[in-house]
This record gives sequence, C-alpha cells and structure tokens, in this order.
Amino acid sequence: MVRFKNRYVLCEVVSEDPQCRQCIEDRAVGLAVRDAIGRVHGDFGLACCSISFTVKYLNAYTGTVLLRCRKDSYRLLCSALPFVRQLESRNQRYPCFLNTLHVGGTIRTCQKFLIEYNRRQLLLLLQSCTNEEERRCVQKSLLRCSLTEEQCLSGNEDDDDDGTETD
Amino acid sequence: MALSEPAAAAATFERRVLRSAGEHHYLRVWLELPDGGARPSAAQFKQLVVSALRELHGEVGAALPVDVLTYEEKTLSAILRVVSSGLVKLWSALTLLGFYQNRRCAFRVLQVKPCGDWIGQQ
Repeated sequence: MVRFKNRYVLCEVVSEDPQCRQCIEDRAVGLAVRDAIGRVHGDFGLACCSISFTVKYLNAYTGTVLLRCRKDSYRLLCSALPFVRQLESRNQRYPCFLNTLHVGGTIRTCQKFLIEYNRRQLLLLLQSCTNEEERRCVQKSLLRCSLTEEQCLSGNEDDDDDGTETD
Repeated sequence: MALSEPAAAAATFERRVLRSAGEHHYLRVWLELPDGGARPSAAQFKQLVVSALRELHGEVGAALPVDVLTYEEKTLSAILRVVSSGLVKLWSALTLLGFYQNRRCAFRVLQVKPCGDWIGQQ
C-alpha cells in the first residue's frame, strides 16, 4: 500500500516566564521550530522537514504542542527540537524550551498517550499542592477524568474530552 | 554520481567500488575562480569548505570532520579528507557552493578515493 506516512511529535513548551503562555500560538511555535531546523540542519534539512510540516494541535494552558512531519525526516526534526530557545510573537520574546513527550505514527496514538500523561500529571500535581483550594480543584478534575463502572461502557468519547481538556 | 573532468585531461569517467572501504574518503578538488582576484590562503580555503557545509547542512554539517590535507594556492587544488559517512554531505555542499567573497566560483571534484595511498602523486 503506497501512501505518505507521517510522524507526529508531541512536545511540551516549558518556560519560567508565566507570560510565555500567551505567546504559545501555532505560527510562533512553527516559526521557532523551522528556524531551529534551519540552523541545525541547514537548507537541506529545512527543505526536507518542511514538506509536510504543520502544528496540528496546540494547548496554551498546558503548553502541549503536536507537530507533524514526514516519516523520512522526523529524526531531523527531533534532533533540532532541543535547539529551540525562545518563542517570538508580536515583537515579544520569551525564553523557553521544548520537551519531547512522544513520537507517534497517528494523531490517535498521540492522543491516547496524552490522556494517560495528563492523568499522571494530575496525580503529581495533587501531591505538590500547596493550599487547600488547589487541592480541591485538582481532586475534582481527577474524579471527572477517572472512569466509574457505569460510564465505562457508554462514554469513551466523553472520557477522551475530559482527558485532553483538563488542566 | 556526478561526472567531473579536469580541464586538460582526457574525458573519461571511471567508477571503481572497493568492498573494504576504510573510514575516510579522500577527494581531490579544484576551486575554479574565473576572475583574477586574490586567491584564498589555506585557512580561508578551509573556512570556505566549512561555510559551504554550514549553508547546506547546518551546524551538524559544519561539525563534520573535514581536513584539508594538501593545498596549493597557485593552482587552487586541494585534497580533502572526510569521514566516509559524511562524503555525500561534503560533496553536495561543494557542488552547491557558488560564491567566494561575492565572486563566482565553483568546486570541481576530480577524484574520490576511499584510501589515501595516492596522496603523494600528482
């Protein structure tokens, strides 16, 4: 079967500056990644990786970014991600770095991974809560996203929504 | 692979593939600078090769271990040595280099060998 195969790279934007969140948009991230590939791998690498390159999904609250590229050049992309040092938008620059979480062949596998990853992150957040109100919020989110016996059969899609939209 | 001929010699192209290729490949190259300006020194020549690699293959390409084993400023011919895994990157970078200090130039690759025992011969 002949078709174009893609790789989807799931990353997380980590920044010390809290105002970086407003800068996380698909154009800014796409430009930053393209620029890093151009620096690290030159004209050839930039052209290779740009063939089917897009930012497929972006979540500014959690800093989750899903990038797509061709299967032949995903290694060039992954090796250039540590060289992204700042995000720039509207003439504002914020230092940050990208953490690669998962590389998958389809959006569905990346989504499954992201749901599990967010669940684990919620548990970690619960442990590191400082005050009572935060603890209650996180506990509520955790209860919403874990399955009970009756929901198991019917609401698989609901569960997916909860998993990906919860902070 | 690309065909390259020295200007004066007979126009033959030969390709011999050695099974036990070593870890370095050696290229005999000639930098063609048609205008009669200043010729690059050895250090400037190496800088030119590295900048060609950097343009086409980025920082990873520029970090490729390339050595200029011999260089003659009068004839602008040189012998380069590169790790075998980087031969394609180096050759493609040399092919696509078009300018030296805003002057038109071209690299002509005359010979490529996987072993270095002919370095003394001209």
